[in-house]
Amino acid sequence: MAGTGALSLMSWGGLFSLPAFAEQAKRAQKHCILLWLCGAPSQFETWDPKPGRPTGGPFRSIPTKLPGVHFGELMPRCAGIADKLAVVRSMKTSQSEHLQGIDLLNRGAAPRPPFIRPTLGAVLAQQLGHLENPIPNFVLLDPCPEGNEFKEFKAGNWAGWLGAQYGPVRVGGEFKIEDVVRRADISSEDHEARNALRRFLTKKFENERRSAAASSQNAVFERVKGLMSCADLFDLEKLPAKDRERYGPAAFGLHTLQARHLVENGAPFVMVANGMPWDSHVFHNEIYQMLVPELDRILFNLITDLEERGLLDKTLVIAMGEFGRTPWINQARGRDHYPNAWSLALTGCGIKRGVVVGATDEDGVDVAEKPFSEKNLFATIFTALGIDPYAAYDLPDLPTFHRVEDKAEPIREVLV
Amino acid sequence: MADEPKKTEETPLKIEKAKEISLPSAVLALDVSADGKTAFVACQDGGVFTVDLEEGKHELLGKHESYASGVLVLPDGQTLISAGYDGVLQWHDVAARKTTRRVKAHEFWSWNMDVSADGSLVASVTGRYDAGGYKYEPAPEREPSVKVFDAKTGELRHALPHVPPVQAVAFTPDGRHVAAGNLMGQVRVWDTVTGKQTAEWSTPDLTSWGIIKSHHYLGGVFAMTFNAAGDELYICGMGPMRDPMAGNGTQRWQRFTWRDGKRLDETHDGESGQGLMEALAFHPSQKLFVMAGRLFQGKWNLAFFETATGKNLHALDAKHRITDALFTADGSRLLLAKAKGQEKKNKEGKWPDYGLLEIHSVRMPA
Repeated sequence: MAGTGALSLMSWGGLFSLPAFAEQAKRAQKHCILLWLCGAPSQFETWDPKPGRPTGGPFRSIPTKLPGVHFGELMPRCAGIADKLAVVRSMKTSQSEHLQGIDLLNRGAAPRPPFIRPTLGAVLAQQLGHLENPIPNFVLLDPCPEGNEFKEFKAGNWAGWLGAQYGPVRVGGEFKIEDVVRRADISSEDHEARNALRRFLTKKFENERRSAAASSQNAVFERVKGLMSCADLFDLEKLPAKDRERYGPAAFGLHTLQARHLVENGAPFVMVANGMPWDSHVFHNEIYQMLVPELDRILFNLITDLEERGLLDKTLVIAMGEFGRTPWINQARGRDHYPNAWSLALTGCGIKRGVVVGATDEDGVDVAEKPFSEKNLFATIFTALGIDPYAAYDLPDLPTFHRVEDKAEPIREVLV
Repeated sequence: MADEPKKTEETPLKIEKAKEISLPSAVLALDVSADGKTAFVACQDGGVFTVDLEEGKHELLGKHESYASGVLVLPDGQTLISAGYDGVLQWHDVAARKTTRRVKAHEFWSWNMDVSADGSLVASVTGRYDAGGYKYEPAPEREPSVKVFDAKTGELRHALPHVPPVQAVAFTPDGRHVAAGNLMGQVRVWDTVTGKQTAEWSTPDLTSWGIIKSHHYLGGVFAMTFNAAGDELYICGMGPMRDPMAGNGTQRWQRFTWRDGKRLDETHDGESGQGLMEALAFHPSQKLFVMAGRLFQGKWNLAFFETATGKNLHALDAKHRITDALFTADGSRLLLAKAKGQEKKNKEGKWPDYGLLEIHSVRMPA
């Protein structure tokens, strides 16, 4: 593939065994944390409030650190760091059903069967990751085993034509990485000796037989070995108690803290989800009065922590779902799906801070200024991370595809 | 449904829709004057209105800064108290058409309010649902969840603790006790003189933890009322769901002796569909009570139950979500507060009305 980013996955063999190089690479490493607000969060109660309008709902708006810019009243902490955020209020996409919307906002383009475009996480795992990294290049933190359409999406092919090695390792709740703790009755020396013998024999077998299966098995063992070395990163109980207090106690916050922890330790891409709780066809206000303050607190802590640790400049943080929600309230006291005019927030690596881009009309029914599509968004994400957004995939038996099709422009107003 | 409610012609109880009055936004609560000529409604646009039931005209009496969630007229017929999602209780002079007092009752919404039968006390309940555990168990309250005020002076009498959010409140007919129910199906009862808690119990049958889409709680007690004797409490909501966001729990009421929290009865098997029930009201005769709300699946969102047996006597699909219901003092009419789905702007660029006040005539058995 032409125009790969700063760190390519394909040609690092063995370099990470050199401590100095590993440290240098860690310093250069870019990261991305996607807070995946699945189910589609409402723009009205978050980034684009319309208080006093028939569509506004019961919540008021509050001023932010940016003159003239208001967020929903449930986001006071984010309002206080609005100068660290880039908010896009004019997303306009085409899919109004969850599965299609999730697919669109995870892959950045409409499907073209039978070819399967890799998800954002898979692309970033390839572009920002490296095989020798003990931490998986794509971690999906999501404790919800069900999830309707998101469950269906999760069961699908995340890595697409890039190959399964770029797919996510899923952790969270009952999803644990099994068998990554060395048995107590085996010493570390014994364990390493056994592994060395296994490696010698299987490598010999692989070389003599030219076996792809053996090669694949060896790769899996290496991956497991890496996971064993960082198993503690996946244990919520081992996260610092004070941090857990700030992010927790609920699942989404703790997994966001875990994402921060993983990034601090070199993870290139972490996606945090929690089922699809934002799909508020009923009880919209009753649920958002809980969900939005949680998001507010989590985002605030994440951004503040990354900044304090010197990581914000090289970590892109995205908070978004698959679309927005209707301006009108249905009779079940809910808001329904709405891709016509919705909002998201970005910050960190490559992102200009303290900007609000685009606008909707007075009732939030349509985009009034600067509509942006999923392609614009993906071009923005890749550009912000220093990845060529228009590079062509050069893979056998594949028509010409690009990371972002149609040369769609990035949202330049949010780029540094 | 395995056992359908009886049809109108098979029962001596006769209900007929008599009138429908349109209001600009969803009607969330209602009350009616003693003579049955004027209704008072609290609406989603924050408006508190008087509605002339003969003429069908409405007039703005006051305005909350967020949804108006409760409205009740005092026995003097002249003083109206409303509550809102702005956390404020407002006193209105009906004759003078003006708001006479505002009391900031809560930092968060007033979910629900009640006034004692003698008009001396007004109670309001609040509480934001904050995540308090890994599974989103509600966190302890940030402010007292239940407040009781002097209805004449607006002075705070009691600030009472509960687990938020507390969504329903009711006085006993003698005003000596006040009950409040929350998201988790927990009910507490206090003595309104001493402020001491006198009873507490929990029902798991009205709340849900989401398995499918949302890992958090939803549902709870949405309305409550005491029987005329004051020894039993009726509550309603909907049964547990795997996906709370679907709103497809069983339409459900439950009846308790409140001093010991013993459940005496609940919606009978086969007599309910699915949907949130958020209104309960006794007929003045006490022979029957009505439960109403939203229909998700099934055949009705308004049903009449025989008090003595709990049997569903009559049920109908009233087409739109019912947020509140009450009988006029003579029992001849049933008033329903309703919320339609909000529609898109019309060709004239205006938002169509989506609130309704509906009047049904009631003919009781001889």
